Amino acid sequence: MSVAVRLEENALCPDKELKALLAQAAGDGAVVCFTGLARPGSKAGEAVCRLILEHHPVLTLRSLQEIAVEAATRFDLSHVHVVHRCGDIAAGEPIVFAGAAALHRRAAFKAADYLMDRLKTEALFWKREVGDAGSQWIEPTQADYADRERWD
Amino acid sequence: MLFYGRLAEAIGPELEVVVSPGSSVADVRETLAAQHPDAAAVLRHKRSLSFVGDRLVRDDYRLVATDTIEFLPPVSGG
Repeated sequence: MSVAVRLEENALCPDKELKALLAQAAGDGAVVCFTGLARPGSKAGEAVCRLILEHHPVLTLRSLQEIAVEAATRFDLSHVHVVHRCGDIAAGEPIVFAGAAALHRRAAFKAADYLMDRLKTEALFWKREVGDAGSQWIEPTQADYADRERWD
Repeated sequence: MLFYGRLAEAIGPELEVVVSPGSSVADVRETLAAQHPDAAAVLRHKRSLSFVGDRLVRDDYRLVATDTIEFLPPVSGG
């Protein structure tokens, strides 16, 4: 089992991350990856031009690592690959890459779903949307917490 | 003391405060909440966290003279 986790201050290139994961997964039967993009609109329908993701110098990476390791253990993955942006992210840019490699597809699909449900609620960031309506802090929604609870 | 997210916006990223010996995290939190009413709800939020040294601590943690305490508002997730 290998776990690769990175906090990325610069642009995230999903193609490169997938290529790296595939190179690790030569003996596996399945690779599933998810790329999240910074949405150009708020839940209220206002235009968002950028997201600001503040992070903690110690705890943010630790939170990503814990989630990745627990996914690898829970789904018996061969490899987990998580890269999360921090800092100033323009709308439309990739914000997160979560990939899982396993012997069989079901585990890889479930692991990618699990990774994202946990990252959406537990990754240690403080996120602001900046747009026409000014700057607004955002937190997980009830739906995000409900998605997370599916795995308890 | 260090603050992040909306707490840093309300209080500032850093603050030096003298507290009584043996004060708990909860004591400091309440002092801050009284001094910064606009940050009180976030400071008292059940998902807010406190970090001292290299670990998250509970409200009953007793501070020592050399501690730097960090107050973390509820996380946004990724």
